Amino acid sequence: MSKPLGCMTFAGLAAAFVVALAVLAVAAATGNGIFSPGQLSGVTHGGPLGGVVSHADLGARCDACHPALLSSERMGDRCLTCHAPVLQEIEARGGLHGRLLVTTANCRDCHTDHRGVTASLTLAEPRLFPHEQTGFSLAAHTVVGRGASVGCRDCHPGAPASYAASTCATCHQSLDAPFMTQHQAAFGSDCRACHDGVETYGKAYAHATYPLAEGHARVACIACHRGSSTLASLVATPTACVGCHAAKDIHEGRLGTQCGTCHSTSGWARTTIDHDRTRFPLVGKHVSVQCEACHVAQRWTGIGTTCRSCHAAADPHAGKFAGDCGACHTANGWSGATFDHATLAASSTCVTCHAKPASHAGAIANTCASCHGTTAWKPATFALPHKFPINHGRASGSCAACHPSTWAAYSCAQCHSASSMATRHRRLTNFTQTTCVACHPTGRGD
Amino acid sequence: MATLAIVVVTGLYGGYVGAVAVPAASGLLGHAMGIVGFTMMLMTETLYSLRKRAMRRPRGSMRAWLQFHIFTGIVGSWLVVVHSAWAFNGLAGWLTLMTVVVVASGFIGRYIYTAVPRTADGVLIEAQDLMVELEAVRRGVSDASRVDGAVAPAAARSREQAAERRLHDLERQVATLRRARRLLATWHAIHVPLGMALFVMAFAHIGAAVFYATLLR
Repeated sequence: MSKPLGCMTFAGLAAAFVVALAVLAVAAATGNGIFSPGQLSGVTHGGPLGGVVSHADLGARCDACHPALLSSERMGDRCLTCHAPVLQEIEARGGLHGRLLVTTANCRDCHTDHRGVTASLTLAEPRLFPHEQTGFSLAAHTVVGRGASVGCRDCHPGAPASYAASTCATCHQSLDAPFMTQHQAAFGSDCRACHDGVETYGKAYAHATYPLAEGHARVACIACHRGSSTLASLVATPTACVGCHAAKDIHEGRLGTQCGTCHSTSGWARTTIDHDRTRFPLVGKHVSVQCEACHVAQRWTGIGTTCRSCHAAADPHAGKFAGDCGACHTANGWSGATFDHATLAASSTCVTCHAKPASHAGAIANTCASCHGTTAWKPATFALPHKFPINHGRASGSCAACHPSTWAAYSCAQCHSASSMATRHRRLTNFTQTTCVACHPTGRGD
Repeated sequence: MATLAIVVVTGLYGGYVGAVAVPAASGLLGHAMGIVGFTMMLMTETLYSLRKRAMRRPRGSMRAWLQFHIFTGIVGSWLVVVHSAWAFNGLAGWLTLMTVVVVASGFIGRYIYTAVPRTADGVLIEAQDLMVELEAVRRGVSDASRVDGAVAPAAARSREQAAERRLHDLERQVATLRRARRLLATWHAIHVPLGMALFVMAFAHIGAAVFYATLLR
């Protein structure tokens, strides 16, 4: 380690010394211009400031912008020494620089030089520019439509501080013309009234405050936000179902406002119905029938609530009763009906509706009520005069025991054998088996 | 390895240029390339030289350090060149040019260096050793002439011819070695001052950059 490095030769050290002197000499001769990383900008913006119309006119006066090493000044102080209008904006908290809260410490965040005679003094890198302080963030505008990094002039073709309201629409129309046409028709052309650059409110917008599920995800924004032309009004869009759907409520408000009790966002038709909340609660046998038995062809509304709405075609009464079936029948079944005969016209008789049974033919007049009630034909209580003891022998209240075919005729042979009777009455002339009562009016053997 | 690194650096740089723009020398990426590149060039200048002189307490093989020296010399200087953002203004422009000149000079020196005969151990064959060997062969030729009558003429002629061939080879080697070492010395006399000038300019550039772009913000 005692030997010096290979570069520490006389020639090497001499060269280092000479070059150092040369650098110092040239630096002094050029006013430190030798350290300039590039030519100053010759771009002009109006009249002279600080005695020059462009930075290029400063020539080798480095100290016009660069303070001395131990100076308390910053470069920003030197900027504002010449750029008095900017200083006025900062002090007044107005204009572009005032709104951007520019200080002498951050001039260089947006401005630079030494990039050539024709180069702009303003950095065209939006990511370095605190654009959100203008009220519009570039968070969603890192690239323009063609995929390149967005530049100031993409939105500000004129001066950086100028902005035309049509700028947004012009660009976005080229990206999605159908959407933009509809969107502008619905919400107007003042894009910045709603959009601040942070939220896109478009396809990528999460819509977190009101998640768009299923059917809601398929509708256009305007379907819910029609007429909303400010951010506040967009946010104020009602979130209850009836806020948008009340006008088309097929229930006409009868079922209240809690649509979600039966419906979901998957569609109005896909419901979990509590039929008791409708005008037709399901009871009796209606509980177990298929929905389509009543709601034919998925016709969910307007099918009526009367029995005839569904059962008219199957009416066994052939339209004889004009009233509703429910007057006699219940939902527990067609049988077991009750009929209030009091509702009939006074002139009505039993036989108007009920045909006399064959057994009664020739024996009973149309005095049904003598034996029958209005509840049912059976049981009946025979209350008419009967020439023969009514409970003769083993009849025990059974009419058919003596009247096997019609009550107008009788037969004793069902108990009394015809051959036995013929034997016992062999001495009688004119004896027949059909005139027994003529000789036995009380049923006795006398 | 160095070729691979150059390809990777160039590929990444080309990709960035294509996707964004040429990274400005004063930007984050530009500065990073300049700082890393210069650090590697500084290592090129010092570490191999220090290792060559650290014979008592060696760390790592000479071959490994030479490989590292070549790697940092090539990759570091390439990073410095791309740091320039292809703008050559003032001192920085001269510095970039000087970097290219010194690297080119280094390549020339590397080929001169390999022209110097080396033993398997990598130690230069000293001219003195060659002269001693040459003297021994000359003595052998002389002896062969003296005993010409005592041995078979054909065998003596054969020995003499072999010794003369050997002598001729050694004389050529000596001449080549002298020529190569002369060339190497000349190259060294040029390359070292160029390198020193480069580093003086680099430090001036770094000092100016720190002063103007950092201290005066």
